[in-house]
Amino acid sequence: MKTVVRRLSGHLARGLAMIWVVTTLSFVIIRNIPGDPVRGQYEKLIEQGMSPDAAERATAALYGFLPKGSLWSQYVDYLNGLLHGNLGQSLSTPGTGVATIIGSAAKWTILPVLGGTLLSFLLGVTLGVYAAIKRSGKLGDALAISGSLLHGIPQYVIGLLVVAVFSTLWPILPAGGPVDIDFAPGFNGPYIASLIQHATLPVLTYALASYGGWILAMKSSVATVLGDDFIMAAELRGMSRGILFRYIARNAILPLFTILALSLGLLFGGAIFIESIFNYPGLGLLLVNSIGARDYALMGGTFLVLTVAIVVANIAADLLYAVIDPRVRKGAEA
Amino acid sequence: MTRTSAPGVRVKDLTVVYKTPAGELPALGGVSLSLAPGTITGIVGESGSGKSTLALSLLNAVQPPGRIKEGSVEIDGLGNVVELTGEELRRARGRQVGYVFQAAQNSLNPLKTVGKQLLDLGRSHDFDDLPALLKDARALLGRMGLDGGRVLDSYQHELSGGMRQRVGIMFALVLNAHLVVLDEPTTALDMITQAAILKIVRDVHHERGLTTLIITHDMGVAAEVTDSLAVMYGGRVVEHGPTTEVLGSPRHPYTKGLIRAIPRLSGDIDEARALPGRPPTLGTIPKQGCVFRERCPMRIAVCDTVDPEPVTRDARTVACHAVGRPATPIVPKEYV
Repeated sequence: MKTVVRRLSGHLARGLAMIWVVTTLSFVIIRNIPGDPVRGQYEKLIEQGMSPDAAERATAALYGFLPKGSLWSQYVDYLNGLLHGNLGQSLSTPGTGVATIIGSAAKWTILPVLGGTLLSFLLGVTLGVYAAIKRSGKLGDALAISGSLLHGIPQYVIGLLVVAVFSTLWPILPAGGPVDIDFAPGFNGPYIASLIQHATLPVLTYALASYGGWILAMKSSVATVLGDDFIMAAELRGMSRGILFRYIARNAILPLFTILALSLGLLFGGAIFIESIFNYPGLGLLLVNSIGARDYALMGGTFLVLTVAIVVANIAADLLYAVIDPRVRKGAEA
Repeated sequence: MTRTSAPGVRVKDLTVVYKTPAGELPALGGVSLSLAPGTITGIVGESGSGKSTLALSLLNAVQPPGRIKEGSVEIDGLGNVVELTGEELRRARGRQVGYVFQAAQNSLNPLKTVGKQLLDLGRSHDFDDLPALLKDARALLGRMGLDGGRVLDSYQHELSGGMRQRVGIMFALVLNAHLVVLDEPTTALDMITQAAILKIVRDVHHERGLTTLIITHDMGVAAEVTDSLAVMYGGRVVEHGPTTEVLGSPRHPYTKGLIRAIPRLSGDIDEARALPGRPPTLGTIPKQGCVFRERCPMRIAVCDTVDPEPVTRDARTVACHAVGRPATPIVPKEYV
């Protein structure tokens, strides 16, 4: 238990350092993007004939605050706000906190990303085992080729293809939005059915986009394990097929857990394309819109959440590894 | 002593080929060898002489791209192993024939404790009384000087080379197999551990009444534990007989060369003379004639064209044209 705590605290320290670096970088970059909505509003009011003082008061009233002082003091204020859990006020939706906006967008990203990734992981890993065992046969070839093909197509192309096939050529599923507005939100049949209908294509896109990687990774991992001495030893001891299969699968899947955690983090980045294609109101679309609107606070907040997601995924991967691999567990104690 | 349960093994004309880009090449070229019930037989030879291929053949486990092309392996109580397939073959492995891997090999699943793998073994062979199996394993490990309870709770990476090797022997014996094949059981172990393992092998062999086959390239190991000794070269058994006789008065020129090449602990290092030339590899084994002739000091004309048949005289089988061309007619009969 003690080792787990020590391990975790090390991870947390590194994670926080990483988050701080990303926060700082994104702060600097965002402030150097040309175009400033507050300044724009202020200048517009002056052009309309307001006095500078009145224009400043009106702008401050609209946004709830005014950026003041040097870049350095703004940076200190920003970090101070973050430490108190305050992500700031959105500029493009005046009067709303960034945290609130991100919170309502997050669920539209997390669920489809998790669903799509887990679906493709399970499918890719299972088929990868077959592709490795039957690698000299037609089935193995077909699986490996399907993997390479899908792995090679960019996510957004898959998204467009999926829309073309299932919404245009063969219109069975909706291609835009998270839910039909006809239904009252709540825990009722039609609303949930509509949710699932709208989520199907984005989830399918996430799944198809990563499936190829899983099948190829699992295939090569299984092929390596098959050559290990202990598999032949187990065979010569007369272990049953089922047990042999479990030995192979568990050893082969180990390296994939790290990739799984990393890809979960990275998929949030991929959400930018896929949510744009499906007009799905998640974090990716939020980021795109906030950049378009020069909404610093929202941009910074979204970057921060994506960073935290990747850091947390990494920590989870490492802890998970310690649980499933006794050698790592031992290494942590030594 | 329950010698009665020890099975005899008769390998006849066993040919194993490996598929290569140059066609199918023979790793074993018609090997015949008998293991008498209750004895320890050693097989010595250089790397690539076919020792391990022969050992794997006893479990019909030659790995692709290799395959048993012809010949038979008769084991008492099992029949011809070459003809066994599927479930029948799987059940014979482990239950009737125990196999111990080279010490340096990692023969255990790194993600499971020894005890859990033992339970997997028991379930694979439909053992109902798993607690009894664990008890047997603890007793066997204790017999070999280990703390059985602790070892069963350990992962492979927590065990030393010598401990792993003992665990390997335990796995080969715990299902009560009476034919045990040990492939290089002491290679890569230090001298003290090596001696301890050999003592265990010999003691357990006698206690349990086993038929044991030990593959080694170490003449010292062979001399120490085996009753009879087979010398392999180029996929053939060139000499086979009681260990003391084979080592004391070798007849085949290869055996003589091997023994002359062993440096003595005391005395001049120059007394040890290396065999000239290199052992053949799969691709360079001659298609006809004697496989040893290129390095043989006793080479005669017939060696170039005719592969010498194994000839048995005085409980000794030798495959050489030049050895003791007998005045009496040759009776091709294998050593039993």
